[in-house]
Amino acid sequence: MTDKRCVWGCLLIVGSLLLYGCSTPPTPQDLLAPTDAQLKIRSIQTRTFDVKDRNVAIRGVIASLQDLGFIIERANESLGLVTAARFAEPNYYDVISVTVTVRQDTKERLTIRANAIYNNKPIDDPKVYQNFFASLERSLFLTKE
Amino acid sequence: MRMGVCLALLTLLTGCVTHTEPAELFQLTAESPKHRAMQTRFFETPNEKELLSASAAVLQDLGFQVEESVREVGFLRATKERSAREYGQYIQQALYLVLSLGKLLNPVDLHQKIAAGLVTRPLNQEATRQEVRIVFYRVIWKGDGQADQQYIPPGQQHMEMIRDPDIYQQFFAKLSKAVFLEAHTL
Repeated sequence: MTDKRCVWGCLLIVGSLLLYGCSTPPTPQDLLAPTDAQLKIRSIQTRTFDVKDRNVAIRGVIASLQDLGFIIERANESLGLVTAARFAEPNYYDVISVTVTVRQDTKERLTIRANAIYNNKPIDDPKVYQNFFASLERSLFLTKE
Repeated sequence: MRMGVCLALLTLLTGCVTHTEPAELFQLTAESPKHRAMQTRFFETPNEKELLSASAAVLQDLGFQVEESVREVGFLRATKERSAREYGQYIQQALYLVLSLGKLLNPVDLHQKIAAGLVTRPLNQEATRQEVRIVFYRVIWKGDGQADQQYIPPGQQHMEMIRDPDIYQQFFAKLSKAVFLEAHTL
């Protein structure tokens, strides 16, 4: 009789020890801290332009995106936000979506950041952003005439 | 049996969609200037608000419903849903049915949603010239069909950019009449 209770007691103790593994690990303090990859991608996605007028810059972004064949989905002047998408033509099944934000850096300069997604994966190829900013520069400095 | 193999091979070919690199999609192509010329017109007016408002009115006239508008950047987005049935497609479907001896029933276009995105922009510092650029594109839903023993369910979707210059000319002709100004091309 005591043997059986002994066995059950031992099983309970072992079981509860095993359950200890089910506890959630403590949240690491640097969970939301910027990683190296995040900083690198931020630097390839951002450019500063010597343009004073934010409205002119936003319109330049919209015009440049339209030139590249993008369809403008959303535009918000007060937030300096433009969202656009296009098909990976001639393939109409893949979609590239891009969000561009325009922010005032100093009185003389603006920071423009473009965030591109291929279907549902973020694009981290720097060439993509280089091409976009080259096209944007062309568009911004054409309207200055 | 042979028909089944043929159809299977044909359906395999549809998997061969060409893949464009994302980097290329952010570059101007050889057709970009042509598309831009088709989609853009200039108006000699300082009144951008009036132009935007007239564009909304023209789109409404064409049966579109304006879904989104942002005056400060001159942006308008409008859509309309219509039937996409075309006689030509039904004739083609009947032809394929006869030629395949009753085995192949091609799905036809049933319904479409046409969308337009319009942007107005001042071209010079004094804002005496405005540029209006509009792009039309559509989503098409197909009906059902039959390929030998395989039933093709309805609702297959595909999208396309509208590249017919006639449609753009019609829109700008209406806009030009609405603002009593001449629409200049590039």
